[in-house]
Amino acid sequence: MEQTCRPAGDRHLLVEYGTAELNLSLNFFVVRALAGLTEDPPPGFVEAAPGFRSILIHYDPARTTRSALLDHLAALHDRQPDIASLVVPSRRITLPIAFDDSATRRAVELYAATIRAAPYTEGGNNIDYIVAQNGLPDREALYERVLGTEWWTAFTGFAPGLPFTFSLRAPTGLSVPKYNPTRAWTPEGAVGMGGPCLAVFPVESPGSYQLIGRTLPIFDVLARNDVFAETPFLARAGDRLRFVRVEEGRLAEIRRLVLANRYTYQVQDAPFAVADYLGRAA
Amino acid sequence: MLEIIDPGPQATIQDYPGRIGLASRGVFPAGPVDDLAFRLANVLVGNEPGAAAVEIPTGKFAVKAHFRGLAALCGTGDPTLNGAPVPKWEAIELAPGDVLACAASAGAGFRLYLAVSGGIDVPEVLGARALHTMGGIGGLDGRPLIRGDLLPVGTPTPRRLRVPQSLRPVYHRHWEVEVVRGPQADPEFLTTADWHEFTTARWRVNLNSDRLGVSLNPHAFAWAREGAGLAGDHPSNVLDASYPPGGIIVNGDVPTILGPDGPTSGGFTVIATVARAALWKIGQLRPGQDTVRFRQIGLDEADALAAHTEFALDPRHLEPR
Repeated sequence: MEQTCRPAGDRHLLVEYGTAELNLSLNFFVVRALAGLTEDPPPGFVEAAPGFRSILIHYDPARTTRSALLDHLAALHDRQPDIASLVVPSRRITLPIAFDDSATRRAVELYAATIRAAPYTEGGNNIDYIVAQNGLPDREALYERVLGTEWWTAFTGFAPGLPFTFSLRAPTGLSVPKYNPTRAWTPEGAVGMGGPCLAVFPVESPGSYQLIGRTLPIFDVLARNDVFAETPFLARAGDRLRFVRVEEGRLAEIRRLVLANRYTYQVQDAPFAVADYLGRAA
Repeated sequence: MLEIIDPGPQATIQDYPGRIGLASRGVFPAGPVDDLAFRLANVLVGNEPGAAAVEIPTGKFAVKAHFRGLAALCGTGDPTLNGAPVPKWEAIELAPGDVLACAASAGAGFRLYLAVSGGIDVPEVLGARALHTMGGIGGLDGRPLIRGDLLPVGTPTPRRLRVPQSLRPVYHRHWEVEVVRGPQADPEFLTTADWHEFTTARWRVNLNSDRLGVSLNPHAFAWAREGAGLAGDHPSNVLDASYPPGGIIVNGDVPTILGPDGPTSGGFTVIATVARAALWKIGQLRPGQDTVRFRQIGLDEADALAAHTEFALDPRHLEPR
């Protein structure tokens, strides 16, 4: 597989794998290569963070040379097993979702009022825009696509614990342009789409994804629910998310139970065999 | 204890280098936006350079000491002790009841740092005391400081220093910031003319700037690509990847310099990255007023400049008081 190294300042290096295509196999490779990198870090290694088909390496230039780092990465790359043979540690996480909820509608209205009224804010929601952009007959058709697939967490980033997920059922075909300019405020728990990617917002933050609804907290540094006892981040790279539709009132009730630690998140260990996926996708 | 009488617009507790190791979970390190003034303030009062101290945007603040020890103020502004002017860039003595204060700075620079001997002793959260504003992680109760907060102060190490004038950072209204080209620059993403424009133009610092990022004035780059293929409908978009702190991302027409609490990843091109020796300058850019010009340097020069910046942080290079 092709490997491109780009300097990203004087203490980071961006390594890209393959070419710019939406091929999940590139991401399976990244998840494995990142694990390999943390198991066998080069001298001067500080940390590494993945993207869809890339890894950003933070190194200390006082403790290594850039050429030594590149040699180490080349060796790591050559050592990677065949993608089809990978079994990636993974969990199935099932989350309730309320579509077109009042919190995400508020975010859209605020944007239209204070930043810009855009085609994607018409009607005070982003959903109709996604429906139109994808030539779908109605909102229900969009909801079916979201509910009818598992979403692969390609990596976490942007905000604390935010999962960038992609449909595991041969492409949903969904894709939508992002906000331009960026939205200043997104509610915690919002679910949004940008390009073919679906994300859950862990904290109130800026954002550029088109919003479709809201789910549960996925980050809690105060660990108010036992699911956050070991780490404040619910999702990790390799996890699969599935959404179950609920009404907004029910979501509000579950969100209250979460904070009172009277709700058990649905999280199941389920290692992910890449060969099975490739067989299905073929 | 250090009592907050006036937290100004958004005073926060920071430490350095902050929370390293969580980039893959979406958490940038936090820490001071100007790590140079911050670390100098600590070194002056006998602390480790990275000890927890207070970051004060605009310089506006007031605190009351409930302990006997040292304080140092580095950055912008004209601070006072019990109403009388007090020097910056050197350790000063604090006695119980003393009030340190400063009005919003009228001079160059945007942030003031206050270190006290022993450091601010709040609990570590996920490995650091620094407040990450977007995530509500660390600091005091995961939030900026408010009036009435009482900050515990740690045990001091005796040392009292002053930064000689020749080693003090110089603040400007029109800044020059060293950057390394890329990771996504010309000729693949930008045109050569775009890059030339980027490194020669005077960019205005947008009022809408904070610890997440410093936005610059919109500019229509020509771009070397028609679109971004699968990544989006604008040539500034790429398949989502991780960002380096200090990366300069372009969303559509708006360049933004990523700050210490900013997004760790996203789908925008990073056309240049601020050299680590120059990162401190980003913390002193005054939103809505200053301008910045970017100067491209190579990796060798970046390393040399980093050594130069670090020189002043060695206590042996500072003056005893």
